[in-house]
Amino acid sequence: MASSASGSSRRVSAEEVLVVEAGIEPGASSDPILLTTDSFEEVEQELNSVGIDDPQPGSSSQLQQTPNSPVKRVSTFETLEQASSVNSDETDELAQQLAQEHLDCDPLKSKEWLAQNKHIFVLSQAGKPIYSRFSSEDKLVTVMGVMQALVSFVQAGNDMIRSIHAGDTNFVFIVKGPLILVAVSKTKESVSQLVLQLTYVYNQILSILTQSQLTRVYEQRRNFDLRRLLTGSERLIDHLLNFMEREPAFLLGAVKCLPLQPAMRDSITQTIVQTCGKIKNLVFAILLANNQLITLVRMKKFFIHPADLHLIQNLVDSSESFKAAESWTPICLPRFDSNGFMHAHVSYLAEDCQACLLLLTVDRDVFFTLSEAKQKIVEKLRRTNCLEAINESMNKTSITTAEIGLPEMRHVLYKCKSTAQFWSPGFQAPYNNEKEIQRLIGCYQCLHHRLHVPNRPLKLLFQQTDKETMLAWVTSGFELYTTFEPLVTKTDAINSIGKLLKWIKKEEERLFILSSPTF
Amino acid sequence: MNGKEVAGSGERDWALLQPHHRHTQRQSSDESSASRHQATPDHCDLQCKVILLGDSGVGKTCLLTRFRDGKFLSGNYITTVGIDFRNKMILVDDSQVKLQIWDTAGQERFRSVTHAYYRDAHALLLLYDVTKKQSFDNIRAWLGEIREYAQDDVVIMLLGNKCDCGSDRVVRKEDGQRLASEYKVPFMETSAKTGLNVELAFHAVARELKARAKSQQDGHSDEGSFNVHDYLRQHQAQKSDNCFATNCLS
Repeated sequence: MASSASGSSRRVSAEEVLVVEAGIEPGASSDPILLTTDSFEEVEQELNSVGIDDPQPGSSSQLQQTPNSPVKRVSTFETLEQASSVNSDETDELAQQLAQEHLDCDPLKSKEWLAQNKHIFVLSQAGKPIYSRFSSEDKLVTVMGVMQALVSFVQAGNDMIRSIHAGDTNFVFIVKGPLILVAVSKTKESVSQLVLQLTYVYNQILSILTQSQLTRVYEQRRNFDLRRLLTGSERLIDHLLNFMEREPAFLLGAVKCLPLQPAMRDSITQTIVQTCGKIKNLVFAILLANNQLITLVRMKKFFIHPADLHLIQNLVDSSESFKAAESWTPICLPRFDSNGFMHAHVSYLAEDCQACLLLLTVDRDVFFTLSEAKQKIVEKLRRTNCLEAINESMNKTSITTAEIGLPEMRHVLYKCKSTAQFWSPGFQAPYNNEKEIQRLIGCYQCLHHRLHVPNRPLKLLFQQTDKETMLAWVTSGFELYTTFEPLVTKTDAINSIGKLLKWIKKEEERLFILSSPTF
Repeated sequence: MNGKEVAGSGERDWALLQPHHRHTQRQSSDESSASRHQATPDHCDLQCKVILLGDSGVGKTCLLTRFRDGKFLSGNYITTVGIDFRNKMILVDDSQVKLQIWDTAGQERFRSVTHAYYRDAHALLLLYDVTKKQSFDNIRAWLGEIREYAQDDVVIMLLGNKCDCGSDRVVRKEDGQRLASEYKVPFMETSAKTGLNVELAFHAVARELKARAKSQQDGHSDEGSFNVHDYLRQHQAQKSDNCFATNCLS
């Protein structure tokens, strides 16, 4: 696939990257608005500590045939593989036989269900089904029983099952608190990327319940049916999983900002600071539009983690009801405090300005105070033409690399590490349909994985395929993933990256939030 | 980074949502209603807090949207997250009544959040879905919670929603009536889809509250001045033949 692999790319770095101006780091800030610990790196570290991506696993956490593995484990794996192949043959026959009958009754007999690219399951340590992505989980009691058995079998040997690899399918397990989360994926995503996604699902559940409530219900009753507490929230998990497949934000552990003139953004921020400054216990004020951040004001000493902000974005994006009325809802931000609820006043600014304002507090009876503050904010923003500016930016299609003057560059992801923010241009041909966009995101995922493999991380990767040429580059300040025409030369690619970085630098005040305002 | 100092623990939060200061609450809301003429820019004579309750998916948000905007939300199922808040001004005889309507999420996990708002409510509209037996069976539990958390004199109205459903119906109207008379609450069947009895439900509540406010002002608790049951009986009979004789109290 890659005509020029990492080996030659290192050579590239030495000679030619110097073309790119040294020290340029667009969007950098010493006063970051978000917490900047990289959640992905944390996952990698966590995994690395148990040797998950180790090519010669010293620990037997992977059920793969290795000389060191105990025979027993290997046999488990083989039986499992046999079982799965038998299973699929059987199901094919059965599926045909039962074609006329109610197929959806048993998902395991539904071809459509079996063909899904990525299944996600959540079950309790007692093996009770909690969530399944593509079918009703109560139909999957037996399958979840098997998953629970696998986990507890390995646990019995004081070990932890991490993943099983069978053909093109990866089975990835994580055990978090009282829950077991499993991904069964035919995508090219790496184990650590799937672990990251499962962790997001777990955090989404925490965001609904809090860690302490989750622990408590299972302490009281080991066989508790958690679905009772999660009813109506499955859609949050469904939406999150789709969101992660299409938004590079999750992969990058970063947030995208709505481009705005710095003066406008300041004016919006100041309006919020002035209006809400006196409200006690208001921790965060967040203004979002089209899943992008307009501004974020925080209480001194407190920061929000991008992973928490992603959950907030998911909540807003998946809840139509916020558009119709002011809402008051409890929400737990797991990276901020996994045991406590915050209370969020959520509302869209106005009928004619679909930006969503969230005011997060620890007081549970200040709805009316916040409602009043919101009214004042909107009035002031309207007077100062800020609503107009937000609308204008929201309605404008994102600039493409062609419009920036980089004809050979098709698309790019630029992440500034010090602020945990990223920027990407609009998609252009050939990435103008859902399928191609999905494929491109898949390519970025592969690049990201190869750059971040813990045992052999790369700084630079140049990869030429018949469909596109990609160049990924990690420095201490930023991460850059670029997509070019397939026949671009290395020199042209690097020149074009140089131009891009200069453009981003020039526009950085508009594309990024460089300060971190507080109440 | 540690948020613990700021964010209250989940445990504490849930535990604190118990009713307290019932009397002070009511008093303060009465005081504010007296001084309301000057306070609110859009003039109103009376302000009432109404809460919509009932299982998830019975149509609380749809009922409210029908009443407030005259629209029916078809297609997508919209889940309320936490509590949604809307205002609607209505004219009762010659006075402007501002209904402050809290639309709650039906899910169990929001229960303790919504409990905190029961005690401020003047009226509760309790809904079930005539096509879902479970939602009807849960009404007793809802009434139990209301008894526990709401004011004793709160106006309660039981509504069997989705009565346009035709053959999907599993809860008979008589069952609804029987339950309502057992608890001595007025009852109607409604349809957010066709709009049947939606206005009536909210107007009846507003009238009842207005009558109460008046009798309180006049200083005598005259029980017979307005009877919500009679009102419903009269108006339903006029409005629709389908829902004839839904009065549940003799």
